[in-house]
Amino acid sequence: MKSALISTRGLKKIYGKRDSKFEALKGIDLDIHSGESVAIIGKSGSGKSTLMHLLALLDKPTEGSIKLNGKNTSKLKQGKLNRLRNKEFGFVFQSFFMNSNDSVLNNVILPLKIAGIRRSERRRRALEALKTVELEDKAKNKANDLSGGQKQRVCIARALVNNPKIIFADEPTGNLDSATGAKIEELLFSLNRNKGITLIVVTHDEELAMKCDRQIRIADGQIVADGVSGAKHDPKLIEDENLDGMRDKNHTKEIEVEEK
Amino acid sequence: MKVLDIIHDANSNLWRSKLRSFLTILAIFVGSFTIILNSAINAGVNQFLDKQIENMGGEGYLEMMPKSTYDSISSMLNNNGIIEYTEERDNGETTSYIKDEEVEKAKNLDGVESFYLLSSASADYVTSKRTEKRYRAMMNLVVPGITFDMSNGKAPNTDENADYEIAINEDLAKALGYENIAEIVGEKIQIAVPNTLKCYSTIKRNECQTIIEATVVGTQAPGILSMAGSRANMALWNRINEINTEGLPEGSQHSYQAVANVDPEKKDEIKKQLEEIGLSAMSVEDEAGMFQTFFDAILIVFNIFGAIALVAASIGIINTLFMAVQERTREIGLDKALGMSNSKVFLSFTAEAIMLGFWGSLFGIVVSMIVGGIANKVATETFLSDFPTFQLTIFEPWTMISIALIIMFIAFLAGTLPARRASKKNPIDALRYE
Repeated sequence: MKSALISTRGLKKIYGKRDSKFEALKGIDLDIHSGESVAIIGKSGSGKSTLMHLLALLDKPTEGSIKLNGKNTSKLKQGKLNRLRNKEFGFVFQSFFMNSNDSVLNNVILPLKIAGIRRSERRRRALEALKTVELEDKAKNKANDLSGGQKQRVCIARALVNNPKIIFADEPTGNLDSATGAKIEELLFSLNRNKGITLIVVTHDEELAMKCDRQIRIADGQIVADGVSGAKHDPKLIEDENLDGMRDKNHTKEIEVEEK
Repeated sequence: MKVLDIIHDANSNLWRSKLRSFLTILAIFVGSFTIILNSAINAGVNQFLDKQIENMGGEGYLEMMPKSTYDSISSMLNNNGIIEYTEERDNGETTSYIKDEEVEKAKNLDGVESFYLLSSASADYVTSKRTEKRYRAMMNLVVPGITFDMSNGKAPNTDENADYEIAINEDLAKALGYENIAEIVGEKIQIAVPNTLKCYSTIKRNECQTIIEATVVGTQAPGILSMAGSRANMALWNRINEINTEGLPEGSQHSYQAVANVDPEKKDEIKKQLEEIGLSAMSVEDEAGMFQTFFDAILIVFNIFGAIALVAASIGIINTLFMAVQERTREIGLDKALGMSNSKVFLSFTAEAIMLGFWGSLFGIVVSMIVGGIANKVATETFLSDFPTFQLTIFEPWTMISIALIIMFIAFLAGTLPARRASKKNPIDALRYE
């Protein structure tokens, strides 16, 4: 079997000290493989967000290791971690986090601007990403003038623009009505299937969780269940699975974690 | 992230809260405007003083008097004129004359190009054919080797055997009936010269005066340092002295003053050596220096106002950016989550501070140039109309650029505080911030 894309062992996260000590994660062993769609499910306060932050290298564990493509990330310097997040990860948040006064295009461009890519190139790639979410005609609009569903599509375009290996989605449909939410889910899963992007969704929404390949249930900082869903995907979407074999070659290549 | 993007974003971020940015820029503007205008006035006055020094004989011109005379005058000035009498010091030589051996030593100093003992030469008045009026005359000698800045004509011939030539002030030319100043060049004026001995024994002044004629060869623009004096050439000066002293016993005349033209590079050294010989020397700059000190003091006061304004503006920058950091907490969190490094976050906020400094000083430069230009025009038409060569304000590009750079640096320093806070933000906490 292929080695895991993300692999954690004994992952602990402790906030505070002594009396006010709070153990948010109590030792997580987890393997996520390339191309999987994984739901991390749990109630609020269960530690699911903390786990996502650690997996996304936004935070450092108190104990334990996170291996990305077999390489330990704890020894990487901050600059390296920043570049990894910038190049390999995409983020979709519940409350969008857009620069509402800026144009749609500029919002999508942000990761490329941080990466220091030149103007014409980043514009081209941002328009391409907007095309994927079918919002290329809104490129020049102010981000604030969009509907909730459109905003989340812009955020997906932003998560997509740097051709990431993994997209982390934190309650991506939490702020949307069910019809709009369904469209966003559809978009995320099609990216997972068609582009081979590993999808890690943090949610408390059972319906959304069941649409993923795999559900990891977290309670009190521990994994209480980890299993493959029986009723995965809408019947309508299953047909698309045939496309799996046509995955973009670019995205099946492994993440390069350079070591110092 | 590229530097150009950081600057571009910093500038567009300023537009997000227009009024707040504008007010901060306004505060910086007040400081930069004051300092830039001050430096322009400083440049204007300094250039004017340089021209004055040039008018008075230039940098190499020295006037000398015996050290004892100088000490006596300065101690009088320093003690409100009340000095205790002592036998040893005040033996009647307090107003001494310049002795022959002192002249010999002074002439041989390295760097002394010419040295002249000034015999006294006094005239009562000057007049011309165009006017009935007579004007009191103040005579100066044109020392050979010294160039004068003439507004019309040329400087008098310094040869001892030349014709009697004189250069006069433009105002005197007007007073003598030459509204068109250039017309006086080549004209003769009359000078009344008294004889000391005759005037001592007669009551009617006109009976002891001799009228001589001299050709006006040039005019000088009026200045603050050389307001009234006319400049006689050596031949005229000697003739006046001859009339003054006619009939006095031989050897009873002494020189109390001397002038020299020296190498400006060695001037300070020569002044020291002259001091050792027993001669106190003053250069034109020493005389101008007093005015300059006074003027500098005024400028310092205004520059302090400018500096205080800049300090206040810096606090404004700190405040503005702290507010911006607060408002953009989530944005900072997003930037960091998407891979922006702490140093780039720091840079993007300090860049904003620098942009505030940039706009503040740019407006300062533009507005002070407009105000300075208007002030120049008004000044030359009114209170400075007597000094046509005086420009009240001179804007030197490099001075303005360096002032702007210093202000931008101060803004940068002010920006480091909020920028540090922004760069230290934890991306997760920042994203959770409501």
